[in-house]
Amino acid sequence: MKYGIARFKGTALVFAAALLLTMGVVGCQKAEEPAEAPPEPIKIGGIFDTTGPTADVGQDYAVGCIDAADYINGNGGINGRPVELIANDYAYKIDKAVELYKTYKDQGIFVIQGWGTGDTNALKELVNRDKIVYISASYDSNISDPAKTPYNFFGSTSYGDAIRGAMQFVDETWTDTTRSPKVVFIYPDHPYGKNPIPAGKAMAEELNFEIGEDQFVPLNATDAVSQLTNMKKFNPDWAWIGGTVGSAAVIIKDAAKLGLDTKFLINVWGFDENLVKLTGDAAKERAYGMGTFAMWGADVPGMEAPLAMHEKKHPNDTHTVHYVQGWTSMMIMWEGLKKAETLDGPGLKAAIETLRDFDNGRLTAPLTYTPTDHRPNMTFNINKVDSGGNIVQVKTMTIERRPEWLGQ
Amino acid sequence: MSMLPSGIFHETYKEDMAVFQTPFIKFWMALFFLFLLVFPWISRPLNAALHTNTLYLMNLIGIYIIGAHGLNILTGFTGQISLGHGAFMGVGAYASAILTVKAGVPFWIALPLAGLITALVGMAFGIPSLRLKGLYLAIATLAAQFIIGYAMRNWTSLTGGSGGLVVKSPTFFGIDLDTDRSYYYLIYVLVIAATLYTKNLTRTRPGRAFVAIRDRYLAAEVIGVNVWLYRILSFGVSSFMVGVAGSLWAHYVLVVSDEAFGIWLSIQYLAMIIIGGMGSVLGAIYGAVFMTLLPILLRIPEHILTEIHPEIFAIFQSTTEGVFGLIIILFLIFEPDGLAARWHTIKNYWKLWPFSY
Repeated sequence: MKYGIARFKGTALVFAAALLLTMGVVGCQKAEEPAEAPPEPIKIGGIFDTTGPTADVGQDYAVGCIDAADYINGNGGINGRPVELIANDYAYKIDKAVELYKTYKDQGIFVIQGWGTGDTNALKELVNRDKIVYISASYDSNISDPAKTPYNFFGSTSYGDAIRGAMQFVDETWTDTTRSPKVVFIYPDHPYGKNPIPAGKAMAEELNFEIGEDQFVPLNATDAVSQLTNMKKFNPDWAWIGGTVGSAAVIIKDAAKLGLDTKFLINVWGFDENLVKLTGDAAKERAYGMGTFAMWGADVPGMEAPLAMHEKKHPNDTHTVHYVQGWTSMMIMWEGLKKAETLDGPGLKAAIETLRDFDNGRLTAPLTYTPTDHRPNMTFNINKVDSGGNIVQVKTMTIERRPEWLGQ
Repeated sequence: MSMLPSGIFHETYKEDMAVFQTPFIKFWMALFFLFLLVFPWISRPLNAALHTNTLYLMNLIGIYIIGAHGLNILTGFTGQISLGHGAFMGVGAYASAILTVKAGVPFWIALPLAGLITALVGMAFGIPSLRLKGLYLAIATLAAQFIIGYAMRNWTSLTGGSGGLVVKSPTFFGIDLDTDRSYYYLIYVLVIAATLYTKNLTRTRPGRAFVAIRDRYLAAEVIGVNVWLYRILSFGVSSFMVGVAGSLWAHYVLVVSDEAFGIWLSIQYLAMIIIGGMGSVLGAIYGAVFMTLLPILLRIPEHILTEIHPEIFAIFQSTTEGVFGLIIILFLIFEPDGLAARWHTIKNYWKLWPFSY
């Protein structure tokens, strides 16, 4: 697999393929010649953040995608054709993401592995117009409604559904019959943090929770004492954290310092192996996470292949759940490409939309896509950091696939 | 003072004031316009060599040139620093999107209106400039950046919140300007208009008032320049142009989201005019070209290295960012007057060659 830019090689291969074709047409007498050009690779555009503000989780995601491309090529590729993932960094700069997108489009690429809300949002109209499949690491419910964003896909429970599940988890584990649970939402003023909040609040209201005042903790926060002191007056039983690992760690540590009894439900980008390292004792029995993906090294059948790639390519690196997330995005694409009747955007879109309960070895719950619903699944685990500092599974949540929640 | 080749004498003021003074310059400018005209048709072969989409880059450069002209009028000519131009560009983009999507205004009317709305917002945030100068004004405009950014994210009924607003590409007498090529012509017509406007502005009464305020505002006031009026006017004109740039960006990428207009963009605009040459019309152009192309050119060695050592691509990518910063620092040390000044030096050297001293 060549995920570096191999455009020249690509051109050479086109010529070689054309030459071979001509030879084949001209006469089969040359058929005994063993010189067969390798099949032309299917190019995949990669728009990652490996140097920008979200690089802390973006690097491992990119490595997961790159390794998955290697794995695909080692296991038959796309009906014999290899894939070539062109990995590029956009440092979370929108103009650069558009530049990469237009470059890929110019090269005839019809499927892109994208990154966060920044690029996914900015490109959603262009991919729709140009009919290019965009598989993102943004699991924003906004892009799960094919009526609005037909070419956007992602491979996990959406943020909106995860927060609903989190509220239902609170409800199901609630034992005190004298009062209803008190919840607070802590999130950064950033699309990733804000978007699921209305869904979470609606669910909490539906379950008759008492909702406290929202607290804003920025993604790059170094302390959250004032927000948590504010929150302490309300003394919630549960608080949602809608940030990434850095800010989640700050909140957990400060909560321990202030002696809060509140337990925290953390969205998928805020709960990983590094959170435990960053918080130490503070996270124990306090931090609960949305386990929409299997953690790195989890005992599930789908983890074998990533572990083997890791052993083969970079055995000394450490990985996180974000590696698994990148890997999963590539697997959905692979499955689609194998089934696609035509190798182009609409063909791949149609093929992915035929997936029903697609099993990726339990890296996520089975994934289903239909032409009218791009919510991949409604089932995920709630994990927690136990008293020994290990991430353990607490409960599996399955929420209803209500039509009115599509795109919300 | 620019030197004229021997044998050319100006006999009228009109000749003296002409933008393009010699047949030689006129010839090269004509050639350059011809190049601009045919560029979209010859850009494709360049794409593979540069690992990019050159036509998109040209469009991006064009949008940045319009914005950089705007900031240059304010910072380069009037001496008022602004760290809010990234957000002002966002105001233009959102204004244009809201006007076309929610009010159904055609693009061709929304474009200047977006500029006017941005001008109003810019003038409002320019009011502190009456009392604040230099670094203090920089901080005041930085506040504009954050206030506008907050409004873009949280005024959901108007801006669509973090999902942003989806807009349509403009049509021109039935032709949908939805390709890079057709949009290129739209952008460059406006780039040329903005450049000529800026060039001409520096030769008018307001333009001279701007420069007088920059050089010594007390003296300017003494000779009868209304400092208050011209400072606010400068904010207005400047924001108008960056608002138009924002509108162009919105209808090009078809989605307006707040993440495109962060503090990074404001700094980038400032870097453009500093590197290009503050107070020079050509400087803004050179700066926009330089800031957009340098990261792309730096990517070429990165691609070559990645071919050789594919395992560590992330390391090369961070190196690129470092080299980018280093080049900018070296530039500021060795050519503090910007690219425009350097170009001038080179030109004069060759004009006098081999008798330069």
